Amino acid sequence: MLEIKNLEVSIGDTQILRGLSLSIGTGEVHAIMGPNGSGKSTLALVIAGHEDYKVTAGSVHFEGQNLLDLAPEERARKGVFLGFQYPVEIPGVNNAYLLKAAVNARRKHQGESEIDAFEFLQLAREKMKLLEMDPSFLNRGVNEGFSGGEKKRNEILQMAMLEPRLAILDETDSGLDIDALKAVAKGINALRDPQRSIVLVTHYQRLLDYVEPDYVHVLSKGRIVRSGDKSLALELEERGYDWVQEAASA
Amino acid sequence: MSAVAVDQNLLEAAVGRLAEDGLTALRKKALSNFGKTGFPSLRHEDWRYTNLAAAAELSNSCLSEPSPPAAPGSVDIGQLTAEIDAHWIVVSNGTVIPETLSALQEAGVSITPLSASVNSVEVHIDDPLSSFNASLLSDGLLIRIADNAKVEKPIGFLLLDDAETAAGLSQTRFIIDLGRNASAAFVELHRSSGNNAHFANSVIQIELGTGASADYVRLQERGAGHLQIGRLQALLREGATLNYTSIDVGGKLIRNDVVATIDGAHATANISGIYLADGKQHIDNHILIDHRVGPATSRQNYRGIVGGRARCVFNGKALVREGADGTDAEQSNHNLLLTDTAEIDTKPELVIYADDVKCSHGTTVGQLDKTALFYLQSRGLTLEQAKILLTRAFAGHILRKLPLENVKKYAHQMIDRKLDHLTGDSGQ
Repeated sequence: MLEIKNLEVSIGDTQILRGLSLSIGTGEVHAIMGPNGSGKSTLALVIAGHEDYKVTAGSVHFEGQNLLDLAPEERARKGVFLGFQYPVEIPGVNNAYLLKAAVNARRKHQGESEIDAFEFLQLAREKMKLLEMDPSFLNRGVNEGFSGGEKKRNEILQMAMLEPRLAILDETDSGLDIDALKAVAKGINALRDPQRSIVLVTHYQRLLDYVEPDYVHVLSKGRIVRSGDKSLALELEERGYDWVQEAASA
Repeated sequence: MSAVAVDQNLLEAAVGRLAEDGLTALRKKALSNFGKTGFPSLRHEDWRYTNLAAAAELSNSCLSEPSPPAAPGSVDIGQLTAEIDAHWIVVSNGTVIPETLSALQEAGVSITPLSASVNSVEVHIDDPLSSFNASLLSDGLLIRIADNAKVEKPIGFLLLDDAETAAGLSQTRFIIDLGRNASAAFVELHRSSGNNAHFANSVIQIELGTGASADYVRLQERGAGHLQIGRLQALLREGATLNYTSIDVGGKLIRNDVVATIDGAHATANISGIYLADGKQHIDNHILIDHRVGPATSRQNYRGIVGGRARCVFNGKALVREGADGTDAEQSNHNLLLTDTAEIDTKPELVIYADDVKCSHGTTVGQLDKTALFYLQSRGLTLEQAKILLTRAFAGHILRKLPLENVKKYAHQMIDRKLDHLTGDSGQ
């Protein structure tokens, strides 16, 4: 599904990713953990195509295609989804309008017809119910005046509507109370599918109690320094990040 | 500096050619007023960004070759007015089409030619453009809304200036008088058919009696050769409310002056606008809210989207006179610059002589939020689509407060038509 090789990325003059390699198979759930500043969000934004991040070496392939050649919207249309750590508020752009535009952009790319208004509403309401979101959120400005938890649920709602091939969820668990965390986890688990890969970028192990990853990677100073199964997350929770970093530099 | 001035001899001759009627004395007085000032030059503080040389030149050429008022051209008036449900009064090149006037039958509304009623009203001729307007006025309208009348259907003014065959000059003057506790809505729609040069100069006077309220929407979508100068001169009595919105997308050089005088306590003036400019368009909005009495509220809320090599000006002033305590005045002007060559000159002013007031202003000039653009792209929208969406949302802050549903819809379409040009024009 996703093949990252020796990726080096800079923002301005600062190099953030220093030869990162990662392979994600179809249907797998991976967790990428690491201390602040290790490059987790950079990795997520590079995969989504943020122009501020310059790739200076290495490659990213998605289903065999060079992802780095594609504009952000082309990546989205091919099924790459980024759940933002800080979803932006866009006053004046209706949430339903954006959802529908996003769904139709993806459908059009897949050669399908546009979703009709009734079908769209039904689908949106169903997904919102799962996420314990009030349907009135559809008629509000995108993330406008949403609480932290509401913004994250809204990201998961977009993911649920778009049914991506690859979802990268950047710190989707941060700032959530336990109820919101459970709702978001429920939304993610509902999307688990043998045809879909999910990458959970997180600082804490907490989310992984609810969404069990197949693999856990530790990112430190721009590289994957350790990989393992979900027990690695528990170990990190217990021992902190220092021992992995020390082990890596030793 | 503007070197071209209106030739007073030509003007006097043109005024002399107009038929003797109830307005003759007014025209003479206005002509004399104008003779003392001429058009304001760039040296005048209120006109430092807007050069009237082209307007003067066009006036001279039209005044020297008098032509009979043109009939409406090839424009389908029915189609132009179909989208907004209103009592439409059509004014073609400054002349009211009589049939559209006689068709207007509405309880509580009386409309008379200004020439027949000029002695019962005060005609504003106190600034150069208003005196120029009155001196060349063939006729105007006095629109009275009776005390307590609630006029449901808006009254529409289609200002149609036909520049298909030759350059033109038109003067429009409406005096609107809303009685005590009356309410009405007005739509002023500017359209044109050709792309020739035209200079349209309009003055709308509106007086709102005690407790009266009016919604007034101005929609300007003129051809690329048009110079348009417009003035709204409003007077608000006690407890009156004026909701005014002005939308400019067309024309070559546009200047709007809104002067709202608050003459009674608890009056509210909401003055807002949007301007969208590209190419070499020039759109200048000057607003003055004159708080003579408090407590009262005023809001100025203008937004601009400027691309190409266009230049827009916002000058909003709230003047709070001595004794106008309890005044609550806010001004905001936010602008999007779509190109490096676009220009906005924004100047909010508060001039306060009273003690107990609440006044604020804020202006911004910026570009589209890159984070929001990326967010939208990451959801599958192209950069172009994302730009249009964000730009439309920016304008939407003003549009969503528009009073009438079909006016709102029309305004949205008008803005969308312009945005198609603008975002294509931005070259980003």
